[in-house]
Amino acid sequence: MHKQYRKRFLMTSSAAISLIFIAMYIHITNGTFDMSIKDVVTTLLRINPNNDFDLVIFQFRLPRIVIAALVGLGLGIAGTVIQGITRNGLADPGILGINAGAGTSIVIFMFLFHMQLVASSSSNWLSILLMPLFGFVGGVIAAIIIYSFSWRNGKLDTQRLILTGIAISSGFGALSMYISLKMRESDFEMATVWMTGSIYNANWIFIVAMLPWLLILIPVIYKKAYLLDYLQLEEATIKSLGIEIEKEKSILLLCSIGVISACVAVSGSISFIGLMAPHIARQLVGIQHRYVIPTSAAVGMLLVIFSDYIAKTVFAPAEIPVGIIVAIIGVPYFLYLLVKSKA
Amino acid sequence: MVSNIIRAQKLTTGYEKFTVFSDLNTTIKAGQITTIIGPNGCGKSTLLKTIGRILKQQSGEVFLQEQDMKLISTKEIAKQLALLSQNPEAPLQLKVEELISYGRFPHRKNVGTLSSKDIEVIEWAMDITKTTAFRDREIAQLSGGQRQKVWLAMALAQETSILLLDEPTTYLDLAHQLEVLKIVERLNKEHHCTVIMVLHDINHAARFSHEIIAMKEGEIVTVGSPKEILAKDVLKQVFSIDARIMIDPENGAPVCFGYDTFLEQE
Repeated sequence: MHKQYRKRFLMTSSAAISLIFIAMYIHITNGTFDMSIKDVVTTLLRINPNNDFDLVIFQFRLPRIVIAALVGLGLGIAGTVIQGITRNGLADPGILGINAGAGTSIVIFMFLFHMQLVASSSSNWLSILLMPLFGFVGGVIAAIIIYSFSWRNGKLDTQRLILTGIAISSGFGALSMYISLKMRESDFEMATVWMTGSIYNANWIFIVAMLPWLLILIPVIYKKAYLLDYLQLEEATIKSLGIEIEKEKSILLLCSIGVISACVAVSGSISFIGLMAPHIARQLVGIQHRYVIPTSAAVGMLLVIFSDYIAKTVFAPAEIPVGIIVAIIGVPYFLYLLVKSKA
Repeated sequence: MVSNIIRAQKLTTGYEKFTVFSDLNTTIKAGQITTIIGPNGCGKSTLLKTIGRILKQQSGEVFLQEQDMKLISTKEIAKQLALLSQNPEAPLQLKVEELISYGRFPHRKNVGTLSSKDIEVIEWAMDITKTTAFRDREIAQLSGGQRQKVWLAMALAQETSILLLDEPTTYLDLAHQLEVLKIVERLNKEHHCTVIMVLHDINHAARFSHEIIAMKEGEIVTVGSPKEILAKDVLKQVFSIDARIMIDPENGAPVCFGYDTFLEQE
């Protein structure tokens, strides 16, 4: 019985990894400055380094692809966990207001520290590293508000969770807007571009800033992945099995908030990935979370890399924030899920 | 002399502002089937859930083999006591065997793979509940009766000496009701399982229980053998019904074969 799931998982993950490499390949070789695969490989392997190629790959394309991959990975995992905890397939970090909470506190951060549009100078190092932490605080505040409003009779009421999430989300959205209107012109531009979800000002420092969060929290989530299977039962049964349900839920939720905040800090609010990736993953590998989580991570990576490729090429040389592309794909998918879940 | 396996002392439970029962004392004897009966809203399910630490009491203690349950870790309790809830839910795509294997949770160290002991207990649980035949099916494909047996198998896979069943026969047809209760009876007889259950059907309670706890409005009215509880005066007091009772010549259990309300007189 288990072998069958395992086989499906191994097949799916090898397919997903190949697709991710193909997407990365297309992304890295195409753009305003086309390169051949040979150029890319020789540059990466440092054979006959060429300054132009070095600049394009190491300063522009590679960090961007890495960030797209990491953000997709993080959001795919966090989305799976949030859907698992709430037992609601329409839950998503964006819908629950965690994105918005993290976003608002990062806007406040930008307001206070006057981030530059191109955060390339090394003087900004510390502030960039602090961004995910700020995002985390905002995400936790949003989560606490959502939690306390949806807490009824000593347990989490999923229906209320979604409703409060939507309210909190628009509340924080308005707050972000208000603060960004008070900003200096340069900060405002940075904030707006960032809020819609974009990664085109990608930078290695961003990667350094988000990596520790992912490296620490994702293993914790993965270690508890099997618990998400049990959390799909109803409360009395979970408790009867000897699972400390509220404690485990809180640990998983906090870890996801950390991951989401790190993603939001570098890429702004890219919604719908956390919604779509887990669904696609479940259709591919079934419902066991130890398979769903890595698959959802891979699907998330693929979606963001692919969307970002579209974002940079469709109106080239002008760029569209990747969040908009994801939303264009995501809105119909969300509606499709709604219709399907009603039937 | 039968020893007490569970003892509730001055137990008070409620939801937010509403108290279901307060300062309740009761004991459950080891190796017996004890059934809690009473009208809707009398607190029988609440009592069962509090004993099974699904609901937290507001005050008072529950002792499991004379140990305060608050001082035992919930996982340790899960090795001794399993509860089958009133309306269990699982993802519809879940396979029967997998759901039953969830019952092994408190015993498992390695979450990735099942030990040979785990597999042995799961097979036993499927065997005794007669669910082996549809082990590979998804929950969605099962009838209500089959589902209930699968849930019972999951509770059995927990391998506990105490089983708490919250209205295990609700929504089942007559034959399935009996089948579930006969499995429970067999567990008690052959495996010395202590069973505490909540039932609506007083005839089933009388036929399958050693002891019946009759509750009304958050209080225990009386505790006794089926013959003591299925008596005109007790049923009048508990359910406000005028019951007609006889002894089933087949199994010697008291049966309420008809009843009327007292509403007009009072």
